[in-house]
Amino acid sequence: MNFKREVARRVFAKELNNATYTIKIAGEKNPIYVLTPLGLRCNRVFVIGAMIEKYEVRPESGIWKIRVADPTGSLVGYVSNFQPEALESLLDIEPPVVVAITAKVKVFEGSSRKLVSLRPEMINLADFYARDYWIVETAKSTIKRIKDLETEATEDAKLAKKIYNPNLEDYKAAVREAITKLKEEYEAFEEFEEEEEDLDLEFEEEEFDLKDLV
Amino acid sequence: MIEKIEDLAERIYETFKDYGVKKKEIAERLRLLILEFKVPENEAMNTVTNYLVREYKIPRERLRAPLTKIADLKSKQWVSVKAKVVTLWEPSSPAIAQTGIIADESGSVRFIIWTKSEKPEVKEGSSYIFRNVVTDEFAGNLRVIITRTSDIEEINEEIAVKVDPKSKATSFVGALVAVHQNSGLVQRCSECGRIAKGGNCPVHGKVNWYDDLRLRGVIDDGETTYEIIADSKVLKELIDMDLEKAKDLAQKSLDRGAVLAELKKKLLGRYLVVEGSADLRFFRVSRAEFLKPEVASEIDKILEEIK
Repeated sequence: MNFKREVARRVFAKELNNATYTIKIAGEKNPIYVLTPLGLRCNRVFVIGAMIEKYEVRPESGIWKIRVADPTGSLVGYVSNFQPEALESLLDIEPPVVVAITAKVKVFEGSSRKLVSLRPEMINLADFYARDYWIVETAKSTIKRIKDLETEATEDAKLAKKIYNPNLEDYKAAVREAITKLKEEYEAFEEFEEEEEDLDLEFEEEEFDLKDLV
Repeated sequence: MIEKIEDLAERIYETFKDYGVKKKEIAERLRLLILEFKVPENEAMNTVTNYLVREYKIPRERLRAPLTKIADLKSKQWVSVKAKVVTLWEPSSPAIAQTGIIADESGSVRFIIWTKSEKPEVKEGSSYIFRNVVTDEFAGNLRVIITRTSDIEEINEEIAVKVDPKSKATSFVGALVAVHQNSGLVQRCSECGRIAKGGNCPVHGKVNWYDDLRLRGVIDDGETTYEIIADSKVLKELIDMDLEKAKDLAQKSLDRGAVLAELKKKLLGRYLVVEGSADLRFFRVSRAEFLKPEVASEIDKILEEIK
């Protein structure tokens, strides 16, 4: 018995969708890993993003296709009876809505190209704060992978460079864009908060005046 | 060659020095066998060892169980370990008398003393020589097992211990990525406290049981997974659910599973800050709260890094 639970990795859609290479270590029970262009070896992911699509693949098929977007792109997921927990909660969820998903990663070999998809194990409603934290967390781990690839710091980084030879500037730009969007949002939010504080002050003063009058 | 013999003699002496064996005598016997009679080294070693065991009435087990550092332990070995008991846990079964973690200067490992071994109790913070114990692997973790043929001897010696950082972790942040099915309003065996699903205890069979509220799940920070267990006290603080409320909910919806569904709805996918203590399998949560993310301060740091 040597079971060890696979870590749910944090990775942006752009990076994961470009993955084509899978690693299978001999042995019946060993999991299959997907190697991303930035050298992340993953079998499970945790994503918080906007579910923007949900429909049954064919009527009465019991297989639902969902699409979840993060600031860099979107991931496709399939939910069926084989994921009972995810299916149960999915039925109550209508897009567009922010969700948290733990999922297994699969690479499907199509006729012309390979496609990455998710098999969600759990789906639950999430909020914007958690989504923003997820973006920060994922940006940090993406940056670490970019640096590791630049210096070929790990075996997986070397392997990824050999297989994909990714354009790192491209990935850096994607992270920068995601974080810049977030920054703009927070700055707008701060201004809004300041305005609110001003309103509070005025209101308090008014109250004070009223008391004086009495 | 003389040096080689000295070396072999030293090795035998290390194993038997507690029994009044003289190194000179060992070396002399080895020299005789190897140099005079041209006996192969390993044969000579065995012969001398057998002689010492007979002559000094040394227990046979001593041979199979050399004193070993914890960091050097491998699965399925008979060894002796000199170590300090650093943690004791509540045994999960009446078959286990005591369980916890022992450590020496090289590392730490989980240990189990079977009830059947009928050994005197060990105390947290005390040091012992655990003679003739066996190692095995459980759920991917090595553990040391004290059986009936083992010996535990308390020693008056302070051991500087090195404990695995993961088992020391007292607080971390991560997302709750899974909630196990045996969470929520659970039934526990009134004899041993194990989960008794449908009133059936895995050890005691059909038993009297009592209700309990708990969460078993997985928290994951993207690098490490923690199997966590939280009790009703923690859940009360976190989502204002206690045993009474859980029972009410189950009663109203005529379904014990409603409590599990509620836990999942409120907690799955949420980022939590948890405090507690880890054993090698579970992180037992003593306090948990929802993370209030500080995103704004991180943003500039990240942009700086990726200029």
